[in-house]
Amino acid sequence: MASRALNDDEVLNEMNKMVAFIKQEALEKAREIRVKADEEFAIEKAKLVKQEQQAIDAQYDKKRKGAEVAQKIAQSTLTNKSRLKLLHRREEHLQDLFSTARNSVASLAQKEDKYVEFLQGEIVQAFLQMLEPSATIHSRKSDVEVVKKAAGEAAKQYKEISGRDIEFDVEGTLSDDSAGGVTLISGSRRITLDNTLDERLRLLEDRMLPEIRKDLFGANENRKFYT
Amino acid sequence: MAAQQSQGIQTLLEAEKEAAKIVQQARQYRVQKLKDARTEATKEIEEYKKAKEQEFKSFEASHAGTTSNAQTAVDKETEVKLQEITDSYNKNKDAVVTKLLDRVVLVKPELHRNLKKVGA
Repeated sequence: MASRALNDDEVLNEMNKMVAFIKQEALEKAREIRVKADEEFAIEKAKLVKQEQQAIDAQYDKKRKGAEVAQKIAQSTLTNKSRLKLLHRREEHLQDLFSTARNSVASLAQKEDKYVEFLQGEIVQAFLQMLEPSATIHSRKSDVEVVKKAAGEAAKQYKEISGRDIEFDVEGTLSDDSAGGVTLISGSRRITLDNTLDERLRLLEDRMLPEIRKDLFGANENRKFYT
Repeated sequence: MAAQQSQGIQTLLEAEKEAAKIVQQARQYRVQKLKDARTEATKEIEEYKKAKEQEFKSFEASHAGTTSNAQTAVDKETEVKLQEITDSYNKNKDAVVTKLLDRVVLVKPELHRNLKKVGA
């Protein structure tokens, strides 16, 4: 430390040195602050941008997935519609076939011998189904005579097959619009058996559907199980 | 002498003031920088979003194209199959009608399998 008082020049000198020092310190501090500020700026900006980018990405991913799902749904709907069209067409053809058959059934009653043979057979079948001691046979008015004869033979055949007797009488109650065949009603009038040609055809339509399908359209390629 | 001293102190005080100003400026710079970070980030985000939107729109456009293609392809296939069905039907219907009608009059009278013939 000075041992004597400073003269004016030295005072000024010291003064300036101190002022310079203060300024220097301030500048350094300011520089530090600026550098840190730049760093923080970069970090903060990157953080914000990344955050939002992630959110946006997630959003668009969802949108995209939604669009993909919608497309899959549309495709599936198309396939389904197509299948329905095919089924519809098959059904139309089937109905056409059945109405053709129904219109032709009446002709089965035309051929005399075959018709009588058929009547006898179906009356026996009816007897065997009912297993009653008596029955009334209803037929078309035009068939009454033929049916009486056939029923007589049928009763004999019935006795032969089952060992049972049956009494019957014939009534011409069916309308002539019917295609033919007979209906039986048991003696106690509790059991009715419709064995007319129309009814037989109807039952066949139902029971033969798998076979008809195969004959008309070919076997089902997708089917795996057959009993 | 006292006047000199107070002048010296004055000078130092002014130097301090200047120093404080310098530091203050730096601090203001910092504050401004943080604000800038926000606004610049927002700008970048907007651009990113626009780019993503573009991407998505083009994806949608391409997929709309595939949908209509799929539609026409399926329709064509369906038409072919429909025609096959009708052709097959026309080929086989007479045979089937005949089969049906034959079975209508086919009778096989049988005694029920659980029953026995009653002794004559």
